[in-house]
Amino acid sequence: MTVRRHSLSWSERLYLPAVARGLAITLRAMFRPRFTRQYPEEPMPKYPVTRGQPRLVRKEDGAPACVSCGLCEYACPAFAITIDGGETERFIEREPKRFEIDMLRCILCGFCEEACPKDAIFMSQELELAGYTREEHVLGLEQLLRPASDFEERMRYVGEINHRWHATELAARARTGNKDAAAAGHP
Amino acid sequence: MTDAPWFRPAVTILAAFGAMMSLAAGMTLVERKVSAFIQERHGPNRVGPFGLLQPLADLIKFVFKEELAPDRANPLLFLLAPALACLPAMATFAALPFGFLDGKPMVVANLDVGVLYVLAVGSLGVYGIILGGWASNNKYSLLGGLRASAQMVSYEISLVLSLVSVIAVSGSLNLSEIVLAQDQRWNVLVQPVAALVFLVTMFAETNRHPFDFAECEPELVGGFHTEYSGMRFALFFLGEYIAMVVMSGFMAVLFFGGCDVPFLAIAATPWWAGALAMVVKMGFFLLLYVWVRWTLPRFRYDQLMYLGWRVLLPLSLANLAVTGVVLALDRQGAAQ
Repeated sequence: MTVRRHSLSWSERLYLPAVARGLAITLRAMFRPRFTRQYPEEPMPKYPVTRGQPRLVRKEDGAPACVSCGLCEYACPAFAITIDGGETERFIEREPKRFEIDMLRCILCGFCEEACPKDAIFMSQELELAGYTREEHVLGLEQLLRPASDFEERMRYVGEINHRWHATELAARARTGNKDAAAAGHP
Repeated sequence: MTDAPWFRPAVTILAAFGAMMSLAAGMTLVERKVSAFIQERHGPNRVGPFGLLQPLADLIKFVFKEELAPDRANPLLFLLAPALACLPAMATFAALPFGFLDGKPMVVANLDVGVLYVLAVGSLGVYGIILGGWASNNKYSLLGGLRASAQMVSYEISLVLSLVSVIAVSGSLNLSEIVLAQDQRWNVLVQPVAALVFLVTMFAETNRHPFDFAECEPELVGGFHTEYSGMRFALFFLGEYIAMVVMSGFMAVLFFGGCDVPFLAIAATPWWAGALAMVVKMGFFLLLYVWVRWTLPRFRYDQLMYLGWRVLLPLSLANLAVTGVVLALDRQGAAQ
């Protein structure tokens, strides 16, 4: 293909008007608001959809909501979760004696949150991960527990997502009339 | 003490050196800040309020950095080149008048051949660059040095020719007298073409964008200062910034009336107002350096030579011829 080049007019060959226009553009840019976020002072806005580091829910009586069923440990694709379960006198009968998440292994995928049948583990909005040793990133039960009030928004959000998913699921079943076809995707 | 014979020179030298160093150091910060603002960034803002102490932090960093010299670099020239790049720029600052105090110009050296002195000493700066390129024992450094010297030599001709017409109009080589001759009648109004040519060559002479072939990063790594580190690199850097300060001052003195405040006769201007006017004018052209840097792309080398030899040189020659004819006619008219 031949590219037709138009010959420059006299004023274009002078280049100065173009230079002046360019300078005007950069001058305007100088007074536009800054794009950069000054991170530590100006943190990123957090939303319920923010998938930060996983944290455990502490119930109002102070005990973890976890019943150490091990589903999150099983769901975890990065093998970041280690649970040692044990018996308890409480009504739930089982509780974690040891619950560790290795934050250096965690990939923040949120599978643990999805797997949990007791709403005991949620993706929090805590994102900062910094330290001097590897050991300090293996978080134990006491470091992981957060009051349930921290997760209210996230809990509502996850519930909404699940609800929507069920709605589409039911619609698909009604359309195909096949109970198994739609359920096949579900583990 | 104020009557002692050494008092006035000492104060002048201290003030001039302080002004030069603080302008150059401030310029490094302004450059980074304005660059950032044009790109919608914040720029350095961690050291001191609004990052004002950044030049100091940079200095400390340069001092404590390791000095590396390449294998088989010429040790003497390698050491000498940064000083040679820095000194001429510093020396030319001596001829810049900053105003008038009790009728005497505020200048380190009130030379009768001021313009010639600045041009002669200023063109020595190319030695530092080409020696730095040569001594580094590095092909990119050498190429950068060669390009820079070819460019500076080419553009110096147009620079000088544009100045000749200014000298013809002012009738003096003394920079203070050129300022006095511009009282309420700036040379930029009389010699707009010369001012334009000077503006363009000023960028080329200091190896700044869009003429920064000496350090053209994508092609030559860092050009002549590729192999330099620590304080030696800082001297090259300082030399470039002082040269920018001097060139801006030169532009202000030769074409924008130096210390002349608009609508105020020089004789009636208090010394501080004159100096302030001078610094404001210099500041504008220093800002223009950065502003242009982020506006125009770098020239291609053949375009650079085309512009220098086939546009600016004929333009300044024609301007000089027209100036000469007009001045001669004017003088004839006055004689009759």
